[in-house]
Amino acid sequence: MGKDTMESVKKLFTTQSSKVDTNRGEAYYADLYNSCRKRLDELKALPPINNKLDLQAALFDEGIDRRDFLKWASATTAMLMLPASFTPLVADAVQVMNRIPVIWIELSDCAGNSEALLRSDGPKIDEIVLDIISLEFHETLQAAAGHQAEKQLEDAIATFKGKYILFVEGAVPLGMDGQYGTIGAKAETFKDHLIRLSSDAAAVIAVGSCATFGGIPAAAPNPTGAVGVMNVVSGKPIINIPACPANPANMVGVVLHYVLTGKLPELDSLLRPKFAFGYRIHDNCERRAHFDAGEYVEEWGDSGAKNNFCLYKMGCKGPMTFNNCSLIRYNEAVNWPVGVGRGCIGCSEPDFWDKYAYERPMANANIKAPSGGVEKTADEFGLVLLTATGIGIGIHAVASAIAGKKNSEKDAE
Amino acid sequence: MKQECYKKVERMTASMRIIHWANAIFMIVAIVTGLYIGEPYYQTLIAGPAVHKYVMAWNRLGHFIAAVIFDVTSIIVVYLYFFSRFEKSYKKLIPSADNLHEFAEVFLNLITLNRKKSFDSSHSDSFNTVYFTIFHLLLIFMLFTGLQLYVHGLESGLSSIGSWWPWMLHFATDWTIPATGGNLMTVRIAHHVTMWLIIAWIVFHIYYQIWRTIFWQEGDLAIVVGGSKFAKEQK
Repeated sequence: MGKDTMESVKKLFTTQSSKVDTNRGEAYYADLYNSCRKRLDELKALPPINNKLDLQAALFDEGIDRRDFLKWASATTAMLMLPASFTPLVADAVQVMNRIPVIWIELSDCAGNSEALLRSDGPKIDEIVLDIISLEFHETLQAAAGHQAEKQLEDAIATFKGKYILFVEGAVPLGMDGQYGTIGAKAETFKDHLIRLSSDAAAVIAVGSCATFGGIPAAAPNPTGAVGVMNVVSGKPIINIPACPANPANMVGVVLHYVLTGKLPELDSLLRPKFAFGYRIHDNCERRAHFDAGEYVEEWGDSGAKNNFCLYKMGCKGPMTFNNCSLIRYNEAVNWPVGVGRGCIGCSEPDFWDKYAYERPMANANIKAPSGGVEKTADEFGLVLLTATGIGIGIHAVASAIAGKKNSEKDAE
Repeated sequence: MKQECYKKVERMTASMRIIHWANAIFMIVAIVTGLYIGEPYYQTLIAGPAVHKYVMAWNRLGHFIAAVIFDVTSIIVVYLYFFSRFEKSYKKLIPSADNLHEFAEVFLNLITLNRKKSFDSSHSDSFNTVYFTIFHLLLIFMLFTGLQLYVHGLESGLSSIGSWWPWMLHFATDWTIPATGGNLMTVRIAHHVTMWLIIAWIVFHIYYQIWRTIFWQEGDLAIVVGGSKFAKEQK
């Protein structure tokens, strides 16, 4: 058995389960509280890097008062699965987030995750909090272009070597030696770009389904050979925040956790933070009662749809999707897919475009045959198999009846 | 004309027959409820709020109870394959010259429509034993993929019977994710497609036993009811 095979077998049997440990005992949290307090005091003593934004003033300008902010802080504490006593720490940690340098790069993507931060109807606390991070480089947002932008990136890497957090948005094309995506005047491939930037990063955070699992660029037939960040980068802590787009609340959660504790949050076997991806959408869904009752929307706009029935028969993939949309929703809890009356498409799961997003129940799905091209639904496959069995049996039975007759005639002779 | 005489041969003990019919009944339960879980094919025609009806939940309960019964019968069957005092099935699975020859002869008997029958049909033959083993392997695959799908709902790590249960399910079934193609949906697809393989298996199984009874004239169908058949003795 080769070393790789051994490794994969080992991995198979040591895979971390998705179990979420929500209560680690008082002693653990007392220790954690003290270490977080110490770390925050240290960070407070440091000067802000470039971003001098005063968070309180920014919140006030947007019409969000202190009370709303503290409500947000306690909700975020709960989301991170920390006890309520950590709320003041979370509120403090937000103020010192501009001590952590962030570099944000985009690869094969649609900038949807950046858009998710920018295009809400009015900036909510999550989005404003992301304004305070010390964003040293972001292709879409920065004023610099061309050689200036290149220089800015080089400066940021040199200044914050080993300290910055690298946010990656978009898949990495590996086909044709990575030539499907290049960046800059020297035509550096996305793959080389990512490897170079990640080698000096403190941690790599892949945001969105493309950066985590390849997403839509990696959907069949995947012409560019796109993969996620974790298939390219090695030897660095990687956190995946999938979903299309990734929820800003989860991005804030991961950065906050890092600022607060100096450590990355606990991850599952797909490197997703357990506080966000430890539970299924289905288990906290507001329409779950209708699922158990067998009350389903049969077609769009029917009386079931008007009564907010379960969307399972319309292809909702909540029962197979691990994410916290049903708890924290999007845009500061305004709404989410099931809430607006359409099913979940499982956008935060690997291979979601091929295996989840077909908007009909799995039993009706077009399954791609291994040879490619030919598509048959699972049940059609079953019926064909059954028909073939039936025809075979029919032929055999008729032939047996005739042959059996001959046999007995022979016996009689 | 040759004089034909029949002797009675014991083929299935009472416990084997109980297992057979438990499997048969609960396989139907599993298929009927499983199809509903895959795509609810009838509507809940009960008026009133959702809290008073529990149609999907009852279907899932039936499906899981059937699965637990298969768990138990599978363990017993695996045990009997090796340690049965009546007939150790594993002996017919060893690819020895005798077994290969018998397998080929029984298969020839099937495809030559009973014109050639040169093997001892009084005991359980290796062709049928291989065919039954395929069923048990399909069933075990269903158990592992099904328990993997089931444990998704126990992500808190707790269950009514303790935290060891979800831990054990993860330990025993997490391999099905990479084995079926890498994500939770491929496990589900594999579980669904395997159901069709099992249905096709059942159809052929019923046909073949009836066919044997009609053409061999040895009362094979009686094995699963009374436990014995009558084999021809040439005199």
